[in-house]
Amino acid sequence: MRIGNHPILTFVRAEKVNFLYDGKEVFGYKGDTIAAALHALGIYTYSHSPVNQNPRGIFCAIGHCSSCLMTVNNVPNVRICITEIEEGMTVESQDKRGVLHVQD
Amino acid sequence: MFKTDVLVIGGGPAGISAALSVAKFGLKVTILEEREFLGGQLIKQTHRFFGSREEHAGVRGISIVKELKENLSANDNIDVLLGATAMGIYEDGTVTMLYKGEVRKIIPKKTIIATGAFEKYLPFENNDIPGIFGAGAVQTLMNIYGVIPAEKVLMIGSGNIGLIVSYQLVQSGVNVQAVVEAAPNIGGYLVHASKLRRQGIPIKTSYTIKRAIGKEHVEGAEIVRLDENWNEIPGTEEIIECDSICLAVGLSPLYDLLSHSGCEMKYIPELGGNVPLRNENLETSVNGLYVAGDVAGIEEATAAMLEGELAGLDVVSKLIGNEEIQNEIITVKKALNSLRAGPTGIKIRNGISKLMNMETEKESIKNNMTDLSHLKKNGTPDTVNIESKLPDDSVLLKGGKAIIECYQGIPCDPCMHSCPFGAIIKFEDINDIPKIDFNKCTGCGICINNCPGLAIFVINKDHTDATSTVKMPYEFLPKPEKGSEVDVLNREGIKICDGKVIQILDGPKQDKTSVVTVEVPKAYYGEARNIRVVACDE
Repeated sequence: MRIGNHPILTFVRAEKVNFLYDGKEVFGYKGDTIAAALHALGIYTYSHSPVNQNPRGIFCAIGHCSSCLMTVNNVPNVRICITEIEEGMTVESQDKRGVLHVQD
Repeated sequence: MFKTDVLVIGGGPAGISAALSVAKFGLKVTILEEREFLGGQLIKQTHRFFGSREEHAGVRGISIVKELKENLSANDNIDVLLGATAMGIYEDGTVTMLYKGEVRKIIPKKTIIATGAFEKYLPFENNDIPGIFGAGAVQTLMNIYGVIPAEKVLMIGSGNIGLIVSYQLVQSGVNVQAVVEAAPNIGGYLVHASKLRRQGIPIKTSYTIKRAIGKEHVEGAEIVRLDENWNEIPGTEEIIECDSICLAVGLSPLYDLLSHSGCEMKYIPELGGNVPLRNENLETSVNGLYVAGDVAGIEEATAAMLEGELAGLDVVSKLIGNEEIQNEIITVKKALNSLRAGPTGIKIRNGISKLMNMETEKESIKNNMTDLSHLKKNGTPDTVNIESKLPDDSVLLKGGKAIIECYQGIPCDPCMHSCPFGAIIKFEDINDIPKIDFNKCTGCGICINNCPGLAIFVINKDHTDATSTVKMPYEFLPKPEKGSEVDVLNREGIKICDGKVIQILDGPKQDKTSVVTVEVPKAYYGEARNIRVVACDE
């Protein structure tokens, strides 16, 4: 859910940005981080802890707690709270330790 | 690889101020900012700042950052690299960073670290499920991205961040179920607490969170009362219905770059954790490496900006040195000291004293002649407090008079500067509690929207034979309409009577703090301190 009118702030939502979340086409607005866009869509769990598989959501939202790591464009362990959405981006939940596929 | 005179790591208020104070002397500055925008946490501070007028007091954080950014872009000596993460500092001062997917080197003559701080965590059962946020995260979601963080929030911690974020949540239409504080007293400024109480939000001091309820997401929380030794009192458990638990239990400096570059560090709880040793001009134990802002010890943005300026000036004096700079350094230090001088600054003062191996001070009661125990515990003043601010009836019968419900010495003076009639007696110190000369007060209400604590009300007792008017600040939606009936609330946010809005000032001068005049039955002028706009019949 997004804030409509606010007593102090004005939110500009000019440009829609489409991206893929676990294979589904979803959207946010230009300037959104992945975390903000997913949260606005009602998606609050982004990964599960590798050992106990406990759900993980946002905690700090400033790129320091590692609670919101996801696999973005095939790169694992991306901090989605400080990574902005881009058109056509693929964003995937990460329930295991991330594996980086290094090209030869 | 490139060279610069001064490298600033972190583009928040401290970093920007540091860069500005260096660049005005013609030196080249480079700012590294991890995010895609400058301003740090200041860009989500929608409230008006405290401090002195020279340091933007009374201005909203979001407006301060706008001004800082304008000053930056007007200066050709400053290069800003956005999306640039500093990764390491080498012994010779070379800094490596990740910028646009590549590792690059910078060779500065001096480096100022202004990386800020990070939210502290709190141990309790089930504390890792989604829906548990740092207070800053909630503020980021709602104030930067315009995303509603949750429906019902339980706030843990009543420091300024907990109080301010709770208020901002209400402004975004979120229900704040309660603010829970483990200490026996409210930690933040009492004017912030009172603002929240007027919205009907309870502040439960001597309570802590026991556990979060929910498996996939927060579905509630259990809180429990603490005795004077901080032990849980069995049988006092309560379940709070909420879908989010927000932790505002303090910040810790983001000191990674400092400790790895070999700065001597010291653990100072009053400053938030590990902080670097530094001299009084903020140079650390590593030659040429400076700190400014929260990374040097947790304070607030006004202090961060002054520290940035101080570090910047000292860097300049080392690089090009002249007499004029020494005078500027003295002025900035004076401003910092006066900001920290009041009763609320004792924690910072003691933290810095410990860091510098100086003697700490005991909390003095000198500044609190009035008994604030009820206010500190509940967020609402007691009758003795309230009456101490009211003039004689004969004065109240002469027309509108401003009543300043500000009881705690905090570093803040916009009310005094805003009064065009000099009715708010000139402060000797920025931490003075405002006093009114009722003979000079015309009841104009200009001070109402200039008070960052929203603690000023203008009372006209004798509006008509049966009614009084109360002018009050109002920062919520929907705004009331002139002539409309509203619910009138007391200091605890409880409805006491119906009222009629007879005036609303909402122009550029009010800057979104509307000044609403409400007509109430005479019996209620002493209690009427808030309104609730009643939904119109459709």
